Amino acid sequence: MSSDTSNSKGSNVGLIALVVGIVGIVIALFGFKQGLDNNDARPLMSWLIGIGFWISIAIGMLFLTQIWYVFHARWPVIIRRQCEHFMAAFPYLLVLFLPLLAVVLFHDNPGILWKWMNGTNALPGHGTVGEDAIYQWKQPFLNIEFFTIRVFMIFGVFILISGLLRKFSFDTDKTGDIKNTHKARVLSSLGLFLCAVAMTMGAIDWFKSLEYHWFSTMYGVWFFAACMRAALASIIILTVILAAKGYLKGILKQAHRYDIGCMMLAFTVFWAYISFSQYFLIYNANIPEETFWYNLREQNFDGTTNSWWWVSMGLIFGHFLTPFLCLLWYKTKVVIWRTVAISTWILAFHILDLYWNIVPGKLVNPDPHAAGYLVRQFSISPYDIAALVGIGGICIFAMCRSMKKAEPIPIRDPNILTSLNYTE
Amino acid sequence: MATTSQDCSMDAAQAELLAKVQPAELHEQALVTNNRDFNWVTDKICRIVETKTPTWWWICMAVALMTASFTGVGLLWLVSSGVGVWGLANPINWGWAIVNFVFWIGIGHAGTLISAVLCLLKQGWRTSINRAAEAMTIFAVVCAGIFPLFHVGRVWFAWWLFPIPNSNGIWPQFRSPLEWDVFAVSTYGTVSVLFWYMGMIPDLGVLRDRAVQRLTKGAYEGAGVLAKGMDIFRKNFYAILAMGWRNAGNHWRNYEMAYLILAGISTPLVLSVHTIVSFDFALAVLPGWHTTIFPPYFVAGAIFSGFGMVLTLMLPLRALYGLHDLITQRHIDNMCKICLGTGSIVGYAYIMEFFIAWYGANPYESFAFINRAFGQYWWAYVMMFSCNVFTPQLFWFKKVRANAALVWIMSIFINVGMWFERFVITVTSLANDFLPSSWGYYSPTMVDILTFFGTFGLFSVLFLLFLRFLPLMPIAEVKFVMPQADPHGHHGDEKGDHN
Repeated sequence: MSSDTSNSKGSNVGLIALVVGIVGIVIALFGFKQGLDNNDARPLMSWLIGIGFWISIAIGMLFLTQIWYVFHARWPVIIRRQCEHFMAAFPYLLVLFLPLLAVVLFHDNPGILWKWMNGTNALPGHGTVGEDAIYQWKQPFLNIEFFTIRVFMIFGVFILISGLLRKFSFDTDKTGDIKNTHKARVLSSLGLFLCAVAMTMGAIDWFKSLEYHWFSTMYGVWFFAACMRAALASIIILTVILAAKGYLKGILKQAHRYDIGCMMLAFTVFWAYISFSQYFLIYNANIPEETFWYNLREQNFDGTTNSWWWVSMGLIFGHFLTPFLCLLWYKTKVVIWRTVAISTWILAFHILDLYWNIVPGKLVNPDPHAAGYLVRQFSISPYDIAALVGIGGICIFAMCRSMKKAEPIPIRDPNILTSLNYTE
Repeated sequence: MATTSQDCSMDAAQAELLAKVQPAELHEQALVTNNRDFNWVTDKICRIVETKTPTWWWICMAVALMTASFTGVGLLWLVSSGVGVWGLANPINWGWAIVNFVFWIGIGHAGTLISAVLCLLKQGWRTSINRAAEAMTIFAVVCAGIFPLFHVGRVWFAWWLFPIPNSNGIWPQFRSPLEWDVFAVSTYGTVSVLFWYMGMIPDLGVLRDRAVQRLTKGAYEGAGVLAKGMDIFRKNFYAILAMGWRNAGNHWRNYEMAYLILAGISTPLVLSVHTIVSFDFALAVLPGWHTTIFPPYFVAGAIFSGFGMVLTLMLPLRALYGLHDLITQRHIDNMCKICLGTGSIVGYAYIMEFFIAWYGANPYESFAFINRAFGQYWWAYVMMFSCNVFTPQLFWFKKVRANAALVWIMSIFINVGMWFERFVITVTSLANDFLPSSWGYYSPTMVDILTFFGTFGLFSVLFLLFLRFLPLMPIAEVKFVMPQADPHGHHGDEKGDHN
C-alpha cells in the first residue's frame, strides 16, 4: 500500500470484515447444525446460497481478468488489480465449502442437501434414490467419492490460476519485467479453458444436481453469465467505494465506470438470452422429463400457482428488464450513485436467481395416502442472511489482506498509462 | 506522468503513488507497418480498382462464372423436375439444402461481427479486414438464400413466406422457426448491405475525386482514349454512389454517428440470426436436435466459420496485391486466435452435448450421440471434430500463425469442418430416428452436388466484382490506426502500438 493512512483504513476494514464474517458464519453454522439435527435441507441451502453468491463474483472476476489479458485490454488495467485482490478469496471459499463436504463425507445422512447422496432417501412417487433407475444410470458420475474429487479439482483450478495471475501481476510491480505480462497472457489463454470446465462442473454438481433428474446443456453457460454480471456489478461498487475512501481517489475515471457499465448492459442481455433460450427450448419441446424443473418453479402439484411464479416474474422484470432499460441510459453508466444503485439492484436479483436455482425442489408428501409431492416454497431465512454476510465478510477480509501486499494499481504494467489517462 | 483533468482531486498519497508509475516497455507491432504515410495508404487501396485489370482476375472470373453455372443448371433441373431430384427420401427429408444454407449463413457472420461488435469493442485491427468481410457476408447470404428458396418446391410461390394477403387465404405458420428465418435472414441481409454501403461512402468519394483530378490534369499521353473513358465512367459511377460526399466536417460527424448506431443495431443481429437458425433444429423433439445449448453454440460456430472464410480470402489477396503492410502478422495472429477461441467453444458444446446425452439418462438421446460418433456416418463426425476442434489448436503456436500458407490450409479445414458439422447435425439425427424399421442412408444426387459446388462460383464472381469496382479497405479508418494518427506522438515508431 502506498500510504499509511490508506493502510490503516484498509486494516480497519479488513478487521471489521473478519469480525462480521465470523459472527455471520457462527450464526449460519448454528442453522447448519439445526438442519443436520432436523434432517432439513433448507439451512444447508442458506450456506450454498452464500458460497454460490461470493464464488460467482470471484469466478466472474477471474474470467474478466483472463479475458482482459487475452484481448490485451489496456483501459481496465487499474480495475484488474482490484479483481486480483478479490481473487485472494478463493482459498478461503474452499475452506468455507468444507462444512458441506463434511456432511457429505461424515454425516449419517449425506443426502440432506444433495438427495442423490443417500440411496435410502425417499423420492415422491419413485421409491428411494437407490431404487431409482435414473440415479442408477448416473451413479458413475453422481457418487460421493467422485463429487469430492471434483470439489478439490474445481477449487484447485481456480486457486492455482488466480494465484499465478496475482503473482505475475504483483511481481511486475517490483521488477517491471515484461515477461510477467507475457506469462499472464499465456496462462490466461489456457486458464480460460480450464476455468470454463471447472465452472461448468461446479454448476452441474452444486446446483443442477440438487434436482438430479433434470438436465440441460445450457446450464454451465447460464452460470457463466450469472458470474459475469455479479462480478461487473461488484466491481462498480468496489471501485466506487475505493475511490471515495481515497484508495483510488483521482485514479478511477468516469470512462472506466462507463465501460464497465457497457459491459453490464451487454451481460444483462447475454444472461437474458441464455436464460430465455433454455426456458424456451424446454417449454416448446414440452418433454415432461425436462419441463418438470420449470413446473416446480411455477406451480404446485395440484396446478395452483406457487410462490416461485412470483420469483420468476421478479427475475424477468427485475433481473432483466429493469437493468436493461436503465443501462441503456448513458447517465446510469457514469453518474456515481446511479451506477452503484443499478449494481446493487443486479446483485440483489442475482441472489434471487440463485434462490430460484437452488431452493425449489420436490418434497415427499407427508401424507402417504395423498398423491403427488410438495414444492419447497420461497422464503428468506435469517440463516441465508447470516451465510451471505458471514462468507462475504471473510471474502472482504481476504481482499483487504491482499491489498496490503501490493500497490493499489499495477504501477509497472505496460498499459498502466493508457488506463490512467483513459477517456471516453 | 500526466492524467486527465476529470476526477483529478487527489491527495498527496495518490500523487506519491502516481509518481511511482513507470510502465514496463511492451513491443507490439503497429497496425500499419514499414512507416507508410497517409498518401501511400490512399494510393495503395485506390489503385486496386484504378489500374488495369490483372490477368489473374480474368482467369479467376472465367473459372468462377463456369463454376457458378453449375448452380444455374442444378436449379433449372430442380425447377423443371421437382424437389425429387435431390437425394431426399424418408426419413431424411432435410439434406444438403439445409446443410448448405446453414453453412453459408454461418460464413456470413464474420462480417457483421467485425464491423459491428469489434467496432463497439474499439478493436483497431478490424479496419484492414472489415470491408472485405462485410462484402463476404452479403455474398454468403445471397448463396445461403438460394437453398431454402428453392427448397419450397414451387419457387414462384416463395413470396407466400411473407405475410402478404393472397387470394388463396394462405397465411404463413408463424410458430415455425423456418418462418422466423425469413425475417431474421432478410433483416440481417438488409442491415448488412446498409452497413457495408454506408461505410464505403467516404471511399467512393475518394475514388470519384481521384478520377476528377486525373481528368482535370488531362495526363493521358500514351495511355490512350480507353484510360480517359474509364475515368469518365468512374467519375460518374462513383459520383452517384458517393451521394455528394464532400469530406466536410458535418459529413464526418453524421457518418460516425450513423456508423455507431448501425453497429448498435447490428450487434443483436449477430446473435439473432444464428440463434434462429439453431431453432430450426432445437425446437424439434428429435434426439440430437433438441438441446438447450444450441443457440450460443451455433453463434460461436458461425463466427468460427466466418473467420475461417475471412482467412481463406484475405491471405491470397494479401499476397496478390502486396498488402503485407496493411494486413500484418498481427491481423493474422488475431484472426487465428479468434478461430482458436471460437473453435474451442464449439468443442465445449460438442463435449457438453455428448456428456448431457449420457447424463440425461434418455436412451434415445444417448443413442443419437453414440450413433453420430460410431454409426454409419462416423466419418462425417470424425471430419467435424478433427477439423473444428483439433485443427485450430495448432494456432496456439506462433510459428504456425506466422506461416501464411499453413494458416490458409487450416482455414480451408475450418470451412470443411463446419460444413460437416451441419451435415452431422442434420442427417445423422434424421437417418436413425425413433423407428428403426424406417432408418435410411442419405446420399446426395448429382443435382445436389452441382448446385452446392456452383455456389462457390457465384460467391467468387460476386467477390471478384467487389474487388474490381469497390474499395477493398476503409481508407480513413485505416489511417486512424496508423502511428502518425496517434495524438501522443510516436511518429514513425514501428514498435509503438496505437489502437
